[in-house]
Amino acid sequence: MAQVFDRSSNALARFSLVLTGVIVIALGVTLDQLQRSPWVTRQGQRPDQPIPFSHKHHVEGLGLQCQYCHTQVEKAAYAGIPPTKTCINCHAQIWTNADLLEPVRQSWATGASIQWIRVHDLPDYVYFNHEIHVNKGIGCASCHGRVDEMPLMYQQNTLQMEWCLNCHRNPAVNLRPTSEIYNMAWAGPSSEKPVWCTSTVKGGATAQNVSCTTTDPTGKAPEVAMLQMSAEANGPTSSDVPPLGITMPASYQKFTSQIDLGKYLTTQYHIRNPEQLSSCETCHR
Amino acid sequence: MIEMTGNPTAGIKTTGIGTEETMAEIKAPAQPVVVTQIAPARMTLNEVRAKLDGKTGRRFWKNLDELADTPAFHELMAEEFPRQSTEWVDAVSRRGFLKVMGASLALAGLAGCTKQPDEPIYPYIKQPEDLVLGKPMFFATAYPFPTGAIPVLVKSDSFRPIKVDGNPEHPMSKGKSDAFTQATLLDLYDPDRSQHVLHRGEVSSWGQFQQAFAAAAKKSSGGQGIYILSETITSPTLAAQWKQVQAAYPQAKMVQWEPVNQDSSRAASKAAFGSYADAQYKLEEADVILSLDADFLGGIGHPGFLSLASGYAERHRYEEGKTMNRLYVVETMPTVTGFKAEHRLGLKPSDIAGFALALANGSAPQGADSEQQKFFAALSSDLKNSGGKCVVIPGEQASPAVHAAAYALNSSLGAVGKTVIYTETVNPLPSEQMADLKSLVADINASKVQWLVMLGVNPIYSAPSDLLFPDAFAKVPVTVQLASHVDETGSISNWHINKAHYLESWSDARAYDGTITIIQPMIDPMYGGKSAHDVLQAVLDNPQASAYDAVLANAKTYIKGDFAAGWRKALHDGWVEGTAFTAKAGGSGKSAVASFPQTPSKGLEVSFRPDPSIYDGRFANVGWMQELPKQVTNLSWDNAAIMSINTMADLKLEESDPVKVSFNGREFIAPALMVPGHPDGAITVHLGFGRGVEAGRVAQGVGFDAYQVRTSDGSLFVSGVTAQKVPGTYELCITKVHNIEHRGSFAQHDLEKPLSDKEGVYSLAGHEAMERSIIRYATVDEVKKNPNFAHEGGASGTLIDKVGYSPQGEKVPHDNSFFPDAWRYDKQDPSTLKIQNAWGMAIDLNSCIGCNACIVSCYAENNIPVVGREQVKVGRNMQWLRIDTYFEGDLHAPKAHFQPMACQHCENAGCEQVCPVGATVHTPEGLNTMVYNRCVGTRYCSNNCPYKVRRFNFLLYSDYETESLKFMRNPDVTVRSRGVMEKCSYCVQRIEAVKIVADKENREIRDGEIVTACQQACPTSAITFGNINDKASKVAKLKAEERDYQVLADLNFRPRTTYTAGVINPNAELA
Repeated sequence: MAQVFDRSSNALARFSLVLTGVIVIALGVTLDQLQRSPWVTRQGQRPDQPIPFSHKHHVEGLGLQCQYCHTQVEKAAYAGIPPTKTCINCHAQIWTNADLLEPVRQSWATGASIQWIRVHDLPDYVYFNHEIHVNKGIGCASCHGRVDEMPLMYQQNTLQMEWCLNCHRNPAVNLRPTSEIYNMAWAGPSSEKPVWCTSTVKGGATAQNVSCTTTDPTGKAPEVAMLQMSAEANGPTSSDVPPLGITMPASYQKFTSQIDLGKYLTTQYHIRNPEQLSSCETCHR
Repeated sequence: MIEMTGNPTAGIKTTGIGTEETMAEIKAPAQPVVVTQIAPARMTLNEVRAKLDGKTGRRFWKNLDELADTPAFHELMAEEFPRQSTEWVDAVSRRGFLKVMGASLALAGLAGCTKQPDEPIYPYIKQPEDLVLGKPMFFATAYPFPTGAIPVLVKSDSFRPIKVDGNPEHPMSKGKSDAFTQATLLDLYDPDRSQHVLHRGEVSSWGQFQQAFAAAAKKSSGGQGIYILSETITSPTLAAQWKQVQAAYPQAKMVQWEPVNQDSSRAASKAAFGSYADAQYKLEEADVILSLDADFLGGIGHPGFLSLASGYAERHRYEEGKTMNRLYVVETMPTVTGFKAEHRLGLKPSDIAGFALALANGSAPQGADSEQQKFFAALSSDLKNSGGKCVVIPGEQASPAVHAAAYALNSSLGAVGKTVIYTETVNPLPSEQMADLKSLVADINASKVQWLVMLGVNPIYSAPSDLLFPDAFAKVPVTVQLASHVDETGSISNWHINKAHYLESWSDARAYDGTITIIQPMIDPMYGGKSAHDVLQAVLDNPQASAYDAVLANAKTYIKGDFAAGWRKALHDGWVEGTAFTAKAGGSGKSAVASFPQTPSKGLEVSFRPDPSIYDGRFANVGWMQELPKQVTNLSWDNAAIMSINTMADLKLEESDPVKVSFNGREFIAPALMVPGHPDGAITVHLGFGRGVEAGRVAQGVGFDAYQVRTSDGSLFVSGVTAQKVPGTYELCITKVHNIEHRGSFAQHDLEKPLSDKEGVYSLAGHEAMERSIIRYATVDEVKKNPNFAHEGGASGTLIDKVGYSPQGEKVPHDNSFFPDAWRYDKQDPSTLKIQNAWGMAIDLNSCIGCNACIVSCYAENNIPVVGREQVKVGRNMQWLRIDTYFEGDLHAPKAHFQPMACQHCENAGCEQVCPVGATVHTPEGLNTMVYNRCVGTRYCSNNCPYKVRRFNFLLYSDYETESLKFMRNPDVTVRSRGVMEKCSYCVQRIEAVKIVADKENREIRDGEIVTACQQACPTSAITFGNINDKASKVAKLKAEERDYQVLADLNFRPRTTYTAGVINPNAELA
């Protein structure tokens, strides 16, 4: 009886084994890539909004401050979406007949909300809090990107857990002085553009603890920009002791790299350690 | 991890108990069967009696089955979640399971291929100025309850009430609350609430009713024929409105009536003082307390519960240099008050009056046995020797004679003015309700009633059966009912008006101390409901005036000074200054003992009680309350004919046998339940059950209706009842056995058990509780001799040096471990040199009164689902917190100990080590957290938890569909889905919220800043939470006390929750 399988079957069998392995690996890689793809994460996508609102125009062009609309970003977990009233404040005077603004006028007239589509949509089991990030030196642009350069809003980052953890495990790479929180163009200190910081030894809230400036403070009174902070926050606290190493109130320290500044601010702002920041209950409960 | 020195198998051979047989039974499972309940391992009476005959002494047990220790019980205990796995073994169920699985797999596939839908944002048009979305706001109001309003502070998220807690600034409640008040939240969002005004069953409108009612009133001659049948009026404003109605329509009549009322107190106070009076007790001042059938630690069914419970606990705490109080309780139904008492005497309802009168007269009670005589003698001398620092509290459901005796006793003992004062009544229009209802029915039968307007009552369901109310009702031409549900009465009334919840309406009410709180709405009426204020206003000159206008107008009579400022302050603070009652002139009144002759007892008695969970039926449709294991009995979703073991024997009953109770031709059938400590010759039944479909999806078909046998003359108890077994069996839903598992029975069956078991009464939980000292307590004398009693043998009668585990379940030294450096929580922050936080809890067993407030608070805070009766029966109830009741000693007169048990947050947690997916992990601050999204539902963690505090979502218990319930959820806590394990999180959402505030302000978290939900509700402050690394914190100080102990410490799980051992103060004469 003749052989059922030809000699070449051996090669075929070997090849199919290899092929199976390749397919399994390829499948794994594909799924992994799919999971991280903008198609799933919506990174960079611009949903159809009822009004093609341009952050670029309002922020870069007109110079509106973030908090004019996102009023509660320093006070609550949600940054807040502005009520129709905020739009009408100006648009009762200008562009009153623009077609684009018809939904705003409709909303104002009928009392029905403008239905925006959420761009930065975290899963419901993630309890993200704007308040603490903004107050501890994470700027808007660190997560949202250059909103001032976005004609239409989109999600700059993946918002996936690994992206969150990148910073929670090493917050120093993103920390900036709280006076620069709303500075969209902040790029961190470099040897060309150093940053000088000093401890104010005021105690109290984080934002009032450190004063930083981008202009050389030697010889002139430092420009002290502060994050808004209610006065009632200055209750008796146990952290009035000045941190180690920095005892001279007016002694400015010069920083030429983000890592140095980040380390300094981590200490100054009492950022919790990475172990605590990346513990599950910080974001899930 | 310490090594277990005991040989796991050695123990089995040496025991005389049927462990080997048990194992054999387990090894040979027959055909799988679908089990729809936990077989309660039925004991037969003979078995139990044989086991227990003459056995007394310090023996702990949780329920009779384990006391009897039958093989069937051991079999039951061998299963982790008793009898649940079998469901999937059954072929039919498995097919169903695969179907379900198939569906969810398909869904999972879809979810993988499609993107999540876009989530819309609906911003405000004009945002309210003071609203910060995501930050809760708190508003003060009060829950009007017939026995006195409970001042509350409501947590409101975007103007939706999401949690009801006590008002911390109120002078009476001091921030504490109770189970009922907590449950009113779900009552507000009850999807079965009535949503429309109905006229003859058709949707109508409020305006049409207003017109019809006003026209009828105008047409009548001075209100002739207009009768109002109201629930107890608690609002001074409503009373004022009624006076206006009376002025306009002098012939109109008002009857207040509730099935559970304070008639006894009213009758007795009228006889003693000439006018109605309420008593206010100051238990902080009392050394000796006698409760005559008063369940004043059970809940707000007893007036002044919050004040009494905190006063009692304050004096019951054992502290150096403080005299502990001593509580005596004489009662029928064993209550938490009875079991907290140092000495409890169970008497038939009719005998309580005799006992009380004898005490008042100073003569020995007639027909008392020697034990009762002894109790009587010791009690009366103790009361006399207290020098007026004593108090006698009569129960609202005790007879008027008991109240009269209590007045006389308080007066003769010199307590009046010291520990008790008599004031005007908290309710503005006090009356004797049963008599008024009788005359109303007589008027109806005499065709005098044209319009019957019922405000918040449901008489068709709950009126005494001998009044034949439904027949009378049919004779009234126009009937109107204002109620929250279209209930038994509403469905046959001409008009039904949907009632606004107290969280939706304006009103006012007085608390126990007389302080007025203005009730302000938290939310716009969800279904446009109306209140009693609106109904009365409809016939007045200005029918369009709202409840707000009425309250505002009436408030001018009691807000002193600048009104605008006073009004704002009253709304802000939640109470009106200077409105508390002062003692009535006339001091102690005259003795009215003679005016209430004793009713002689004849035959079997039935005592009617408001249910500890659903009261008179008003919480029947609140799932939290139905599912809540009731105080003492741990019944859930059921009521029962509760009796003693002797009565059961007399009636030839076994537990769960249906028994027909008949009285004067009326009858109900109820399942029998034995409760230790119940007096013989009496049956206690709880009211509020047996509702029809009208009552709502939760209430319908639960339990039996005891109102059917209740008569107008026997609304407290009736004697001469017959009871007999009827065929069949009814398995009660009792949660007690769910959490006992066979911990240690195989591995550590105590080698020395024969030594400790000289009396032959061995029970598993008893073994656990005593020999491993789950419950530790001592008497005052013992503590004084040995303050460290909780950690040394002796006080609990414990043997030491047993094999298998360290003595008395004692803590293992930290370095006695393979990993001595693991689980350290003393890391330092390099920048501040501060030691890290380590959260911990201390629970004072002396203060815990077992009132269940904590459990309901936990329900609301943590979005805990209700699973329903069938699921509870198979042990799947989801409460994160339970109160274990350990009975001790004699079955006829047991002691009991309450122990709240939730996740212990072990530092070396067994659950974490067995989770294959890291879904339960430790946080740096020592919390044992559940990460729901990682959980795949293996349930290994629950298997390995010695405290049995983990709860698994076997099915989709959370209601994702019902719209009204979505409003209620706490937005800071995940609503868990099917297949996920959950458990107490130490309210991690509250910890994180406080951490964010503290971090923002750059400071440490202050002691007491984080309050867990259970701690917040606890009326006796038994629970303390905080940072145990901060040696100055309250919790660290409590943990440093000698009486502090860990439960099952010898397992070296290092629980973060510890308990403070109890101290009792028994009378040496009765010891």
